[in-house]
Amino acid sequence: MNDGFKYRAPTSRAELFGLLAAHGEGAKILAGGTDLLVDIRSGLVRPELVINLKKVEDFPELVWSQSQGLIIGPATTVNDVLHDPKVRDCYPLLAECALSIASHQLRNRATVIGNIVHASPGADMAPGLLCLGARVQIASQRGRRELFLKDFFTGVKRTVLGHDEIVESITVPAGTARSRGSYRKLKRIDGHDLSLVGVALTNTDGDVRVGIGSAAPTPLLIEGLTDQDPADAVVAAARAAIRPISDLRCSKEYREYMIEVFVRRLLEEVR
Amino acid sequence: MSESTLPPAAAHVGDDVQRVDDAAKLTGGAMYASDLVFAGMLYAQVKKSPHARAKILAINTSKAKNLPGVHAVLTGKELDYRIGLYVVDKDVLAKDVVRHFGEAVAAVAAESLDIACRAVDLIDVEYEVLPPVLNQLDALDENSPLVHPDLGSYDYVKASFSPQPGTNIPNLTKIRKGDIDAGFAEAKWIVEREYTNPSVQHVPLETHVAIVEWKAGDEVTIWSSAQSPFTLRDLFCRAFKLPHNKVRVVIPHVGGAFGGKAGIHLEPLLACLSRKAGGRPVKFQATREEEFSLLPCRSALTYKIKTGVGADGRITAQKLLMYWDSGAYADYAVNVTRASAYSAGGPYDIPNAWVDAYTIYTNKPWGTAYRGFGHVEFFWGLERHMELVAEVIGMDPLEFRKKNLLKPGSTTLTGERINEHTGNPLKCLEAAASAINYGRLTPEEQERQARTGRRIGKGIATLHKAPAMPSFTSTAAVIKMNSDGSVVVNIALTEIGQGTATVVTQMAADRLRFPVSRVKVAVERDTDKDPFDWQTVASKGLLLTGNAVIAACDDLLRQAYLDAAQVLRAQTVDLDHDGEKIFVKQRPEESVTFAALSIGYVYPNGNGIGGPLIGLGRYTAQGLTSLDKETGQGLPALDWTYGAHGVIAEVDPETGEYTVIKIASAFDVGKVINPGTMRGQCIGGMIQGLGTAECESYIYDDQGHLLNPSLTDNKILTAKDLPEEIECIAVETPQLDGPFGARGVGEHPMISVAPALANAIHDATGAELTHMPVRSEDVWRAIHNRLPVDTWVTKAPAV
Repeated sequence: MNDGFKYRAPTSRAELFGLLAAHGEGAKILAGGTDLLVDIRSGLVRPELVINLKKVEDFPELVWSQSQGLIIGPATTVNDVLHDPKVRDCYPLLAECALSIASHQLRNRATVIGNIVHASPGADMAPGLLCLGARVQIASQRGRRELFLKDFFTGVKRTVLGHDEIVESITVPAGTARSRGSYRKLKRIDGHDLSLVGVALTNTDGDVRVGIGSAAPTPLLIEGLTDQDPADAVVAAARAAIRPISDLRCSKEYREYMIEVFVRRLLEEVR
Repeated sequence: MSESTLPPAAAHVGDDVQRVDDAAKLTGGAMYASDLVFAGMLYAQVKKSPHARAKILAINTSKAKNLPGVHAVLTGKELDYRIGLYVVDKDVLAKDVVRHFGEAVAAVAAESLDIACRAVDLIDVEYEVLPPVLNQLDALDENSPLVHPDLGSYDYVKASFSPQPGTNIPNLTKIRKGDIDAGFAEAKWIVEREYTNPSVQHVPLETHVAIVEWKAGDEVTIWSSAQSPFTLRDLFCRAFKLPHNKVRVVIPHVGGAFGGKAGIHLEPLLACLSRKAGGRPVKFQATREEEFSLLPCRSALTYKIKTGVGADGRITAQKLLMYWDSGAYADYAVNVTRASAYSAGGPYDIPNAWVDAYTIYTNKPWGTAYRGFGHVEFFWGLERHMELVAEVIGMDPLEFRKKNLLKPGSTTLTGERINEHTGNPLKCLEAAASAINYGRLTPEEQERQARTGRRIGKGIATLHKAPAMPSFTSTAAVIKMNSDGSVVVNIALTEIGQGTATVVTQMAADRLRFPVSRVKVAVERDTDKDPFDWQTVASKGLLLTGNAVIAACDDLLRQAYLDAAQVLRAQTVDLDHDGEKIFVKQRPEESVTFAALSIGYVYPNGNGIGGPLIGLGRYTAQGLTSLDKETGQGLPALDWTYGAHGVIAEVDPETGEYTVIKIASAFDVGKVINPGTMRGQCIGGMIQGLGTAECESYIYDDQGHLLNPSLTDNKILTAKDLPEEIECIAVETPQLDGPFGARGVGEHPMISVAPALANAIHDATGAELTHMPVRSEDVWRAIHNRLPVDTWVTKAPAV
C-alpha cells in the first residue's frame, strides 16, 4: 500500500524538467497511467511525486510531414495513432500494433511513448516502430539527445533514460512510409491480452526488417535482410536473435515455434 | 376454488417478458451491498499468508493497534469459533498454522480503507515455513503431511459424508451398481484414461462484500452479497451459538455469484471485528486479487475412467475414480464430490458401475460451489472419454452416444428408474448435432477451409445434472395484496442474475390471472421478513420456488373467494375471477373487485369483513432419500435436466490456434417460462464454459504460491471472444411435478462445453486433449505429440 505521493501538473517543459531534476528517482511521469497506476496499486512502484505531463503546453503532438515523417508526442494516445488517417495511410503497421493493445477504453488513455518507455519486453508498439526505423528524442534540463529506438532499450523495463529525462517525441522517418508489412501477436484470448510473442516484419523497397517482442529481455530488431533471402535464412536470423523463456503464459518451445511460423507467414505476405 | 371454463385473463408463462430488474440495473439505480454506507462504519482489511503451509510462530499487532483510526485488531488466537458447511474445519482466522497461500491470519477495522491498509502493513507475522502438500494424489500417500491432523475430531453432516480420520480425505463417496467384474469380463474392449482440470475462479463482476454490525445485546445484522441468506444465518448462528432471532441477514441486489457466494465467507470475521470495535458496522469488499486466494475457487479434479464396451457398442461396465482437490478446507468440495459421484456416468445406461469419489485436502485455496457443481469438471473427462472410446471401437461418436443414452426403463447409477417424463436426452443430442450439421462439412465450410488453410471440425457432448441438495429441501413464498389489488411476492431465493424475479412474476401473474404489471417480487432479501428458503443454488429455484409461488397464489385466491362469497351472497363454487374482480359465474355483473377485498371488504354502512389478503405457499422436494453409504443407492434427484452441445471449431493445424465458429446447445427444460431469460442463462453459461475450456486456470509454483491471482494472467473471455454463432434450443418434455412443467437450467449451459469444443478440435486435427484448459499451445502439443493408443486400450479384440 502506498504511503501517499505528491502530484504536480506542470504547464511548461521548463517546469517539468525542473521537477524531474529536483526529484530524480522519486518522481514518476503520469501520461496515460495504464502502467503507472497498476504498478502503484500493486506496490511495485512507490513514487514520492507523480508528474502529470498532459498539461504541458509546448510539447509536440501527433503530426505527419513529408520532410520529417511522423512525430508522436508525449500525450499521443494509442487510439490517436490508431485513428489517424495519415498513420493508416503511411504506416498501417503502426495502426495494427496499436489495435492489438488492450481494449478501446485503455487505448483511450494509454500513450504510445508510455508503451515504449515502460520497456516491457512485450510492448506491442515496439516491433512495428523498430521495423520502421523509429528514432527517440530525449529531453531534460541538460538538453536534448536523439537515438534509434533499437538502441533505447537496455533490459526488462530498463532504458537509457536518466531520471531527469523524458522521451519528448518518437519520430518515424518518411522513408519507411508505405512499407509493406504486418504484425502478428500470439495471445491467450481474442480480447485484451499481453503478447506471448509479437512479430512485425516489413519490406521497404526490398529491405526486410523483423521486430520481435516477448522473446528476449528487450524488444528486438533484426536488420540486414532482403526480400530475396530464402525464408530459412530469415528464420535463422530471427532464431539467432531471440532468447525466449518459459513462464506461466507460454513455454519457450512454443514461443520459438510461433516466432518461426509468424516470420515465415509474414515474409510470404511481403514478397 | 372452482375449475374455470373461461380462458385465463392473462397468460404470461412462455412469453418473452422483459426482465423486471432491467431498468434499475441498466440505469445504475440498483443498490448492491458495496453501495451501502452506514454512519460510523469502519473498513476492514485482512493480513494474508504469503505461504502455502507454515507454522505461525508469532504475530505482532502492537504497531497496528497504535495507529490512529484503528478500532479493532484481531488474530486467530482470540477467536474460538469454527465454521464449515458440511465438515466444520475452518477457523475464522488461521490459528497456529496457515494452510494455503492467501489465508487470513489477522484483521483490522479502521475509520478509512487507507488506515486499514496501513494497519495491516504494520502487522508482523513470524512463520516457520513447512513443505506444502500440493497435488491431491500425493496427499493420498500415507507418508504425506496431514493438512488437518484433527480431522477425526471435527463435526460433520453424518447422513451424507464419510471423513477418513488420519488421512487427507474429508469425504469418500462410493457408488456400486451391478457386478463390475462381470461387466468388464463381458467387454470386448476396455479403455482406460485419465483427465484433469485445474482450479478456476468464478469472477463475478461484484467481488465479495459484506457489512456486519454486532450491537450490544448480541443483535447482529449482516448485509452481504451472499447467495443464500438463510444458510448464511444458520451457519453464522451455529458458529457463534446465537439464536436465529438474534441475527438478521439482508441481501440487496447481487452482482453475480456463480456458486462463489453460496455458504458463508467473511461475515464471521467482520462480526468479530464489529463486536471488538464496540458495535460499529464493519465493511469489507474483496479486491479482485483477493477473490483468487482469500476467497474460494473451483476444485481441481483428476478423473480416471475405465470403460468396458461389448461387441454391439454398448457399455458393459464403468469404473470411475474421482480425485477432487478440495484445497485447505472441505467447504462445498465434499458435496461436489457426492453430487458428482451419483452423476458420474453421465446420461448413459451403465449396467455395472463402480464409483469411488475422494475429496482430498491440499495446501491450496479451497474449492467451493461453482456453477455446475462438479459436473463441468467431470463431464470434461467423461465426454472426452466417450469420444476416445468411440474412436477405439470404430464407431461414430454420435452413434456410440445414442446407443448408450438413458431411456425410459433405464436405471441411473443410484437405481432411479427413468421414465418418459424424466426428460429426453436423445432429443437434445439430436437437436445439437443437427444444428451444427454434424458429421459433414457444408459447401460453405469446405470453401472456408480451402480459403483459410484452417481445418474445421465438429464435436458434440451430452450432459445431465440434478440439483445437489438435501433430500428434504424446502422453500416458501408469501404473496401480499396491496389495497389497489396489486401484489408483492416475498421469497428468499435471491436474484443473482438468473432471472428469478422475472419468471416468478410471470408464474404468479399467470396463476392469479393478473397482468404482470400488478405483480412485484420484492428486491431485497431479509431473513427477518421473508419466508425460508434453503439456498439459491443447484438450479432448483425455478422448480421449488415456482411450486411454492403457485401454492401461495392459490392460497390468496382461496381467501379472496371466501370473502367474495360473503359479499356476493354466493358459494365459492359459484364464483370465478378475472384480472380485476371476482364474479358470479352465471351473472358476471354481480362482482367485487380484488382492490375492494384486498385489505378487508367494507359494506356501505361501514361494517368490515375479511382482512388483508395474504397467500402462503410452501413446497418440499418430494420422495428423495439419503444415499446408502456403501452402495450409493437411493433417490437424490429432484429433477434431471438433460442437454447437449454441438461445436464447430476451426483450427490452424500448424500452430494450434483455433476459433469457435458455432456453438449450439439444447436443453430439456420441461417448459420454457421465459425465452429471453432462458437464452440469457444459456448464452452466459456457454460462454463461461468456453472460458474455462479455453484459458482459465490457477497456476502455482512448487511452493504453492498462486502465480496468477489477477485477470492479467488468469484470462477470462471477453466480448471479442464470442463464437461467430450461438444457438439455444429448448426441448420441452414436461416435468410432471414442475411448475407449468418446467425444470431448472441455471447451471447446465456451462456443463460439457469444454469436451464439445475439444471433440471438435479432435475431429479437425486428431489432437488427443485430456487436460483443461485447451490453450493453443496444448493443441499444438497434442497434434505433435500424440500418445500411442496402446497405452490406454487395455483390452481389444484380436486382429
